[in-house]
Amino acid sequence: MSYAETIDQAIANCKQQTVLMQRCLAQEKLMDALKHASIMLTELRSPLLSPKQYYELYISIYDSLSILSNYFVECHSKKHHLADLYELVQYAGNILPRLYLMITVGSAYLQSADAPREEIFKDMIEMCKGIQNPIRGLFLRYYLSQRTKQFFQAEDSETKKANVNFIITNFIEMNKLWVRLQHQGPLREREQRTRERKELKILIGANLMRLSQIAEADFKLYKDEILPLILEQVINCRDVVSQEYLLDVICQIFPGEFHLGTLAELLATSLKLNPTVPINKVVLTLVERLNGFIDRQENPDLDSVTRGLAFVDIGEENKNLFFMFWKFLNQLSEERPDLSLQELAPVIQGILKLTLRWYPDNVSNVNVLFNFMHEKCKEYGKALPEEYDFLFHDLLLAPELKSDTSFFLRLLTECEAYEGLLSAQNSNLQRECANEILDTLTGAEWRISSKPELEKILKLCGSLVESNSDKMSSSLILDEEDDLDSENWSFSPDQEKLAHITHLCDNKSIESHCELLLTCRNWFQKSGKNIKYHSPAIICNLWKLIRKCQLRINRKPEIREKLNGTMKQLFKHVSLIINDIYNACGGGCLDLLYKLNVQTASLADQAQLGDIAYDFFSQAFTIFEESLSDSRTQFQAIVNMAQTLQKTRSLYMDSHYETLITRCTLHGSKLLKKQDQCRAVYTCSHLWWATEISPLGEEEGVTESFFREGKRVLECLQRSLRVADSVMDNVQSCELMVEILDRCCYYYIHGDEASTHVGIKYINGLIELIKTNLDGLKLEVTSMIEDGPKLKTDCAYIGIDGCYIHRNSANSVAAVYTKPPASKTTLLNFIPVEHFNRTLKYIRDQKDVDDRFKAIVL
Amino acid sequence: MSLFFKSPIDIEILLDGEESRKHVEIANSSDSASARTLRDKYPVYEDGESVSGIVTLRVKEGKKLEHLGIKVSLVGSVDISKSSSESKKRPVETFLSLSADLCPHGELIHSQNFPFHFKDVEKRYESYRGKNVDVSYYIKVTVLRKSTDIVKHKRFWCFLYNREALPSAVSSSQNEGKPVKLDIGIENCLHIEFEYSKSQFSLKDVIVGRIYFLLTRLKVKHMELSVITRETCGLEPNQLSDSTSIRYEIMDGSPVKGETIPIRLFLGGYDLTPSSNFNHFSIKNYLSLVIIDEDGRRYFKQSEIVLYRKRN
Repeated sequence: MSYAETIDQAIANCKQQTVLMQRCLAQEKLMDALKHASIMLTELRSPLLSPKQYYELYISIYDSLSILSNYFVECHSKKHHLADLYELVQYAGNILPRLYLMITVGSAYLQSADAPREEIFKDMIEMCKGIQNPIRGLFLRYYLSQRTKQFFQAEDSETKKANVNFIITNFIEMNKLWVRLQHQGPLREREQRTRERKELKILIGANLMRLSQIAEADFKLYKDEILPLILEQVINCRDVVSQEYLLDVICQIFPGEFHLGTLAELLATSLKLNPTVPINKVVLTLVERLNGFIDRQENPDLDSVTRGLAFVDIGEENKNLFFMFWKFLNQLSEERPDLSLQELAPVIQGILKLTLRWYPDNVSNVNVLFNFMHEKCKEYGKALPEEYDFLFHDLLLAPELKSDTSFFLRLLTECEAYEGLLSAQNSNLQRECANEILDTLTGAEWRISSKPELEKILKLCGSLVESNSDKMSSSLILDEEDDLDSENWSFSPDQEKLAHITHLCDNKSIESHCELLLTCRNWFQKSGKNIKYHSPAIICNLWKLIRKCQLRINRKPEIREKLNGTMKQLFKHVSLIINDIYNACGGGCLDLLYKLNVQTASLADQAQLGDIAYDFFSQAFTIFEESLSDSRTQFQAIVNMAQTLQKTRSLYMDSHYETLITRCTLHGSKLLKKQDQCRAVYTCSHLWWATEISPLGEEEGVTESFFREGKRVLECLQRSLRVADSVMDNVQSCELMVEILDRCCYYYIHGDEASTHVGIKYINGLIELIKTNLDGLKLEVTSMIEDGPKLKTDCAYIGIDGCYIHRNSANSVAAVYTKPPASKTTLLNFIPVEHFNRTLKYIRDQKDVDDRFKAIVL
Repeated sequence: MSLFFKSPIDIEILLDGEESRKHVEIANSSDSASARTLRDKYPVYEDGESVSGIVTLRVKEGKKLEHLGIKVSLVGSVDISKSSSESKKRPVETFLSLSADLCPHGELIHSQNFPFHFKDVEKRYESYRGKNVDVSYYIKVTVLRKSTDIVKHKRFWCFLYNREALPSAVSSSQNEGKPVKLDIGIENCLHIEFEYSKSQFSLKDVIVGRIYFLLTRLKVKHMELSVITRETCGLEPNQLSDSTSIRYEIMDGSPVKGETIPIRLFLGGYDLTPSSNFNHFSIKNYLSLVIIDEDGRRYFKQSEIVLYRKRN
């Protein structure tokens, strides 16, 4: 008898024979039916089919044989005794059809009560040995297993044991065949063999599945009868695919509580595997199962828990899972020195997961693991290659570690080995890890309240601090231009995160908090130039502390003395840090220093520490005078200074205030550009006209002690008007004048003519002057004004600091230019005109409210 | 021809209880292809059994037959004449011949019945129809005449049971029933050990055994067990003729070292010949293990087994 060439043909043949067989059965011609079945089974002898095709054919044949099997069962003892049939089918000359038929008859026979059960089982499994071809043998034995599975629901333990033995024997033989499949055929098809084997793995796994169904709840049976035999086979077969798959299946299909009881055996087995089996996979699966067990226990469906607990009948020394794994790990490293870090790391990670799940608060376990890994890194000797980075990254920042942030922090602060392991990594990875650690800390809004904790964390972030100092030394030249602008911030998110640490520091005691901040400062010192990124954060936090002091003083005036001392101390620290920045960065960030000084001064003023405020102001001026050279920055600085000074209240002693404001105005009038001069000076005019600060309890009209000198105000305005007048550009000049007019209006509203010296006459004069100038301007433009009503949609303004603002109707966002945009020159001419019109309209409106305005001639 | 020389008399031999007696079907030995599929059917007798029956002589209507006496005889003969080579042709050898007279010379006028009875006939050999040799038993009725005698044969078949007692060519009585172990191999290539439960089997027996692979470097495709029946006839040089009675696949695929393959072969369903030894020829049965490798090469080992017929 022969077989078909192709799978399609084979299946067609098989169908045809099935039909013939059924017909014969209907006519009760058993012998003919058997003949057809046998012809059909001959197709299974084909060596031409791939495992997949063979499986397809097998399924089809399985169905056909089921028909036959049903017939056997029905006709047993009525027509044919199955014992006779069992002998009859043995006359088939070819072994494969013979065995299939034999199993079909045998399994049918088993269904009758009088069958010699044991003998049939024994005979069937024994005879299956005749098939030594891997694929055919596997399928035959799978057929055996499928046909017999219904007979395994025994209750008494003897039968159970016998069944288990039967299945295990079958399993062992199948596994052998499966392994043998690997070694068949030419060497170059090895890959393909492996692939094919993986396609067939389910056939072998099915046996274990049956075992798990039998064992179900019988731990003793599992431990004594099932597992040792399976594991022995796993070890003996020495085949990678098989070992990997089988251990995985064992872990997956038997209940977690069983694994608890047999952990030692499982782990011991995994030590004896073929060296190329990825041992980490095994460990990971096991860990997942054990963790799953805990999960189930925590969400108890009652049944399983009680059942589970009943099984956990394990010795004391086995109770500590971690210890068992730890022992395993040590053995592993002893017996398998060939294991690379790459393979070891996931194992550790697996154990890590386990301990985190089972012993969630046990830092020392984790410490032990990290320590182990650290040792391994040291043994590795040379620098860790970059492709290992992800391993350690995963290990150090496992999601399981980070998920519980409080544990993570304990880990960071208490676990020695963590730091050790981290420091063993290359700087890139260290930086990456530090980054993520910081992210986690920030995300968790953890408060660092003790110095050791802080130091620990800073140490962990050491890579971020130091690595950049390297960069600094290597690119010294470039750094000269490294100005502190917004772009730079975004370029160094690392530094931003470091700076963030300072915000995490927190302690109720102001002194301790301050100490934390100073600790940060000391650490950051190492980063050289980069302290310009961190120091502002520290200063900022010191400011917060100062504020806190103020609040406390307000609440409890009696401790003012003491707290004043503290505050002074804090200011000193601020000053120190500002100096640090200055020393480290030199010219790089003067603007920053200036602003910090001004801001600190303002704070000191608010704390009524005039001397200190003065100091900081004078520092600011020093910087301004010595180092701020850019005209634009200068202008901004003056405005900033004026703004701050105007609000100070504690500087009146020793005429500090006058000194400072005079100096400020003087600097303003000495600015490079005339429009800057003009604006700076009229802004400075406010320094002589203090206004109410309601939080301090001041009120216009009630408080008498405002620092106001109208004469100086007028002087300032006049001076700025002179400058405005001397500006060559008519448009600019007019605009400035209108701005001065606005100021005049402000003073006119807010004070009597007597005190401000800004009177009707002056305003009228100014309006006249502007009108005249604008007339001149209009002459220049009338010729052009006609050509575009559409221009009306585009508007341009000049900002208070002299920038040009252009608003396009099409675009809701206005564009700002520091230089007059060349294309819009015609538009520029309208700026002062429109500004003037708006001002006049305002004055007109004011006339309705304030009678004094009626004197203004428009 | 028969038309002209038509026998003037019809002879019919009817054995007692023939209808109810057990029959065997034996493949027709005729050489013509069309007849090969035909099967002859013969009644079966045992050793020591009486053979009796009735001979009926029918004379054609209105005729009479003059004869010199009518004789019935029981003949057992070995016929090696089927041998193809003429030179070695041997005569038919008769090893058994019993006769009895049925009636003295006279004239047959009408049909007449003559009973005959050979009591407790010893039949030394079992009937056999082989390639070169036939062992046959028949009843022969001879009507003696002045001219040619009229002869009528009636074949019957003979089975011999309980042959254990007979001396056997291979197995002496002491190792009978003991398992047969064989250890064979090709150096550095194959080494197997096989074992049968015994070396003598009845025709309804089961051959049980196992094959143990100690070393296998062959790529085995499959392995077969076959039973070969060998008839030997004549003197030197022996005329051998083998025929394979059973081919039975016992293994599919290539085993590895350490595998044990079970053997179980039911003989009952096959048409086998018991081993026997005659004066001039013998029938022996061999159990042959054949290993076929993937290149189609066959490796085999034969060992003799004794088959005997046993009463159920």
